[in-house]
Amino acid sequence: MYLYLPVALTSINVLVPVGLGFAVGMLSGLFGVGGGFLMTPLLIMFGIPSTVAAATDSNQIVAASTSGTYAHWRVGNVDFKMGLYLLAGGFIGGLLGVQGIKVLKAMGNADFVIKMTYVLMLGTVGSYMLFESISSMRKSKTEELQKEQESATGRFLRSLPLQTHFEKSGVTHSALVPIIFGGIVGILAAVMGVGGGFLMVPVMVYILRMPMHVVVGTSLFQILFNCIEVTFLQAYTNHTVDFILAVLLLIGSTIGAQVGAVFGRKLKGEQLKVILAVIVLAVTVKIVFELTLTPSLLLGQSGGH
Amino acid sequence: MTENKINVLVITVCAALLFLMIGMIGTASAALTIAANNDRLKIDFFYHGSTLTFTGVSDQGTDLIIKIAAPGGHQLLRKKGKVAGVLWMNVGELKFDHVPSLYSLHSTKKISDILSGEEQARHLIGYESLGKQTDIQPVANESDKTKWFDEFVKYKKASKLFAESEGDISLRVNAGEQHYYVSSPWPYQAAPGEYFVTVYAVKDKKVVATADTKVLVEQAGLVKSFASMAKNSAALYGVISIAAALVAGFGVGLIFRRGGGAH
Repeated sequence: MYLYLPVALTSINVLVPVGLGFAVGMLSGLFGVGGGFLMTPLLIMFGIPSTVAAATDSNQIVAASTSGTYAHWRVGNVDFKMGLYLLAGGFIGGLLGVQGIKVLKAMGNADFVIKMTYVLMLGTVGSYMLFESISSMRKSKTEELQKEQESATGRFLRSLPLQTHFEKSGVTHSALVPIIFGGIVGILAAVMGVGGGFLMVPVMVYILRMPMHVVVGTSLFQILFNCIEVTFLQAYTNHTVDFILAVLLLIGSTIGAQVGAVFGRKLKGEQLKVILAVIVLAVTVKIVFELTLTPSLLLGQSGGH
Repeated sequence: MTENKINVLVITVCAALLFLMIGMIGTASAALTIAANNDRLKIDFFYHGSTLTFTGVSDQGTDLIIKIAAPGGHQLLRKKGKVAGVLWMNVGELKFDHVPSLYSLHSTKKISDILSGEEQARHLIGYESLGKQTDIQPVANESDKTKWFDEFVKYKKASKLFAESEGDISLRVNAGEQHYYVSSPWPYQAAPGEYFVTVYAVKDKKVVATADTKVLVEQAGLVKSFASMAKNSAALYGVISIAAALVAGFGVGLIFRRGGGAH
């Protein structure tokens, strides 16, 4: 059955957004990512204008992350305190990032910098997570090496002021650490035009040393608030949120997020990291292909970035 | 006297009627008509494009070309190009002016066989003549312009907004009149607005008559309400979208908790 989308101004088979929503929602519940880096290009592939795809996806993520946060909170896997610190940092970072884009645009090579940052970030994060989790699954010699590294970073982090204990995650950090790293992710996310879940998860795992299951729940919690803000701004300033498309997507994604959360409990933290790393690397490869193969169309819809 | 008068009157009336009839036949033989089976397309929730049929009468022995076009406007598109020799990226924007957003052609035969290039240019028939009147900014030179116009046609064809189907108008002669018929797929990608449909009667490589009609595409019902709300009450629309997402997410969470408790 086809439905007409009033803001995207196109007609779509309802099974497409419901199916896509389910698949991406499942990843969201599993890994604590919003999945924008997958969903937005898929929607564009199905004929949705790029600006509408990005804005509507953030509306849909509000539903998926509410569903996912709720599922994780029920089993005690959301660190609200950590989430709020990260949010505060992310908010400031977002503001800085938007200014950063203006500077890049004025310099004239914004697209180049944005695309390169994106590819490098995805590639680095994906590779690091993959190698790290595989080696820690093997529990080989590298474990000791990591411990040394950990204590070095740990010493530095402990020397910072405003130390506070995060009960849910079982870690003690300076309040500045989540704020600063939340800020860095916020800047990058704003520059790349993505939610940044795929960056926030590794930050929580490797820098904040939180247990993987709490990472997923807490990440979803802060994604929820980010996406509420983005959805409102997009609807208010750009008029690019398609409510009907969002509803079709969230029918799939809210259920998918629950299924993902259930699966997640059955997998070990290391296994989750390996799968996420593989997905992130696959997206990297896809973008590299897009950048190097001659596109079939040299013109595209304008607007957004 | 009165009988004579009546006779004169009858003869005059008959002559007048005959004259009128001859006149009507005369205009009918030179006339060209066009009608659409549906000239008001309503975009509702289940709209998935449409198929329109155009019919009419034309002089025997003329060939026909039908052009459907949206008024030439202004379109801004992103262009892709190579950066650093290997990477394909958006490298700026191109502004297209005096070019329709939708353009489609139907004809009885191959257009280049029935109409001269000059006449094609005069009546904006064919991509070549369309390209000549289109203004593209910024382009380096004429060949750059041609290249980007070709890309523009390719882009429009991909979204079904530009189409050319030569030789698909069928003709039938009935009682000395030539009737034509063509069925034209209407793409759902065509935005709401007014579209002009022109039929050209062609003889000896020249246009000898034209007739036109309009097709209006408009949003209706809930599609219209949503579209206008997104534009005119943006803040409320945003809040409703977020609230609906929160309720849906939370609702599904609750359902799963009950379901989860059972197994």
